[in-house]
Amino acid sequence: MKLLNKILFGSLSIIFLLSGYDGFAQTADKGSLSVAVSYFNVNNQVPYVLVKVKTKVKGKFQSVGGIPFKLFLNKDSAGTFIGKVVINEQGEAMALIPLSLKKEWNLTVKHTFIAAFAGNTKYDSTSTNLTVSKAKILIDTASGRSVVATVMELKDTTWTPVKGVDVVLAVRRSGGDLNINETATFATDSTGKASGDFKRDSIPGDLSGNIILVAKVLDNDSYGNLSIEKKVPWGSKFVSRANDFNARTLFATRAKAPVWLMVVATGIIIAVWAVLVLLVQNILKIKKLGNEA
Amino acid sequence: MENSKSIAGEEQIIQDLLPRKLKSSGKVLVYILSAFCLVGIYAYYRQLRYGLVVTHMRDYVSWGIYISNFVFFVAISLVGSLITAIFRLAGVKWGSPLTRIAEMIAVAAIIFASIIIIVDMGSPERFYNLFLYGRIQSPIIWDVIVITTYFFISILLLYYPMLPDLQILLRFKEKSGPRLHKFYGFLGSFWKGTHKQYLLSRTAINTLCIAIIPVAFTIHTVTSWLFATTYRPGWDSTNFGAYFIAGAFLVGAGAVVVAMYIFRKWYGLEKYITLEHFDKMGRVLVLLCLLYLYFNVNEFLTPFFKMKESEAGYLNDMFSGSFAPVFWFAIFTGIILPIIILLFKKGRKPLPMFIVGIMVVVGAWFKRYLIVTPTLLHPFMPMHDVPEMYHHYFPSWEEWAITLGSLAGAILIIVALCRVFPIIPIQETINEHHETAK
Repeated sequence: MKLLNKILFGSLSIIFLLSGYDGFAQTADKGSLSVAVSYFNVNNQVPYVLVKVKTKVKGKFQSVGGIPFKLFLNKDSAGTFIGKVVINEQGEAMALIPLSLKKEWNLTVKHTFIAAFAGNTKYDSTSTNLTVSKAKILIDTASGRSVVATVMELKDTTWTPVKGVDVVLAVRRSGGDLNINETATFATDSTGKASGDFKRDSIPGDLSGNIILVAKVLDNDSYGNLSIEKKVPWGSKFVSRANDFNARTLFATRAKAPVWLMVVATGIIIAVWAVLVLLVQNILKIKKLGNEA
Repeated sequence: MENSKSIAGEEQIIQDLLPRKLKSSGKVLVYILSAFCLVGIYAYYRQLRYGLVVTHMRDYVSWGIYISNFVFFVAISLVGSLITAIFRLAGVKWGSPLTRIAEMIAVAAIIFASIIIIVDMGSPERFYNLFLYGRIQSPIIWDVIVITTYFFISILLLYYPMLPDLQILLRFKEKSGPRLHKFYGFLGSFWKGTHKQYLLSRTAINTLCIAIIPVAFTIHTVTSWLFATTYRPGWDSTNFGAYFIAGAFLVGAGAVVVAMYIFRKWYGLEKYITLEHFDKMGRVLVLLCLLYLYFNVNEFLTPFFKMKESEAGYLNDMFSGSFAPVFWFAIFTGIILPIIILLFKKGRKPLPMFIVGIMVVVGAWFKRYLIVTPTLLHPFMPMHDVPEMYHHYFPSWEEWAITLGSLAGAILIIVALCRVFPIIPIQETINEHHETAK
């Protein structure tokens, strides 16, 4: 019996000790991130960088949030640090090129943006980069309601027209941009110009009939994303339809009740309550008669 | 000789119909009802302290058991206009012993209809804003105006026919006690029964009877419009006004039958509330049941036939879904079975009538619950991204306590009125006695 107890105790001790050993446990595989960096220059103002991060879950790409990235201009060093961003739930994060990097920015006509992730318990470290040439886009109009966009690249110290760049010419609407005609994109010629006729004559504008034209270069391998806007009075004037906000309606405020309703309702209330008042007076009459009797 | 016989008969009627002290069973009932009221008050204190979150009303079911109860009270209050006004104007003489019971029920119900609507408010301390900023375009304001008007008319209609009875009550100081005697004196010591007083009183009662009918129809039609003017499945109906009125007369008549039976038993009023009264009220009740059944068929058959997609969820839930047991219970208990029972003469005897009255009232209460809740759980726009509990509604204990407390409170008012005033108009009964003797 004693031997049996010893065997049992010994076995339990071994099981207990082994339960804490994780040498046989497999380490979980970390996920890998797919990172894309985009460059944006809107209206030739301060450019910014957008980082998009995705990962594959069950064969499908899904956005990942909460991932910290460090962004650098040209090289991974403290002096070229653009900033640290954290990816949001949509899998995106953006950073403006800071003023502190103006000197570095003006040094060359071509820049490389580096996005680096140091890795964490779920994902491996990764880094990616994007190289773009400095470019700008201009927009103008020509007679006969034609829109002209010019794409220029900075070469040394001179802005040079660029040929063969696809430009989207559109008009800005609240839900997105609407192309100025049936053509999706217009290629620039040797003078760097791309032009198209404006065929959206009946489009509503603001109170003065102004609309906003936009010329865009989208995801160009050399120049990234460039866009510029121009306000023109080509839309139809917005005429606010006669609203009944201040009219007397059933759904208006108390002070704007329809007259017919006020007359009918007040009439009924006064008529019924007048009868009730008379009936109360009637009690007083009965009381008086009783006192006299 | 005949004159002395008549005087003896008069005295007997007075003795039979004078208000009496509560028996021990009546006292027990008062204690039980008071206990319900106290629990209801405590639940309401919790609701005021912690807010409407103590109820199970949420974003979708924002009108729950309180509004069902409100509609029920408004419905039951209509009986005053049916028994008192319609019967009187139509020359239905047999209904006169029931007029005061009907008026007492009407007053009690309308008081609690007003209270329960304030209970439903999240911030009752802001109630006065309804009068300061209320819009005449809103059916809610119409309801407030018409309920107040109906309350005053009901009070006057209870008071005027009581004036001759107060004169009789003042003769029995020993029986009523000094406090009640003083109260009777305050209310009616000036009534001397002169011809001029009688004429003024009769004109006033006739005026009230004429005035109360349109006001009564308005009160419940406007209550139905609270729903019908809101674009929701099940409420988007032109039938609602008439449907509500028919249901109201039915539940009111059911409540009168229950009260008739109880008071007849308690006070031994078999001579005054006779088998004939039960038989005739049974006929009235079966007519009202058939009328209400007709409106129910109108209300449900046409949407069921069309089965519009937006209403299908609501209708299926009522007919065969989670609300089906309550729906069919309300239809069978509140309408179908009473029709079957009351069609037979034996069914119109006091006890079966009492049971039928209870069935009608209980069925009617659940019917009001079904008018409010299933519709709110089936909005036109699908429910997305809401907590699971928003998809269902079952009242919290606070809601049940307040509702039961309000029902107990209404019964307490009726009991209190019966303790103070004669349940059956004494002078009217004496007059009828004289007419019969002639």
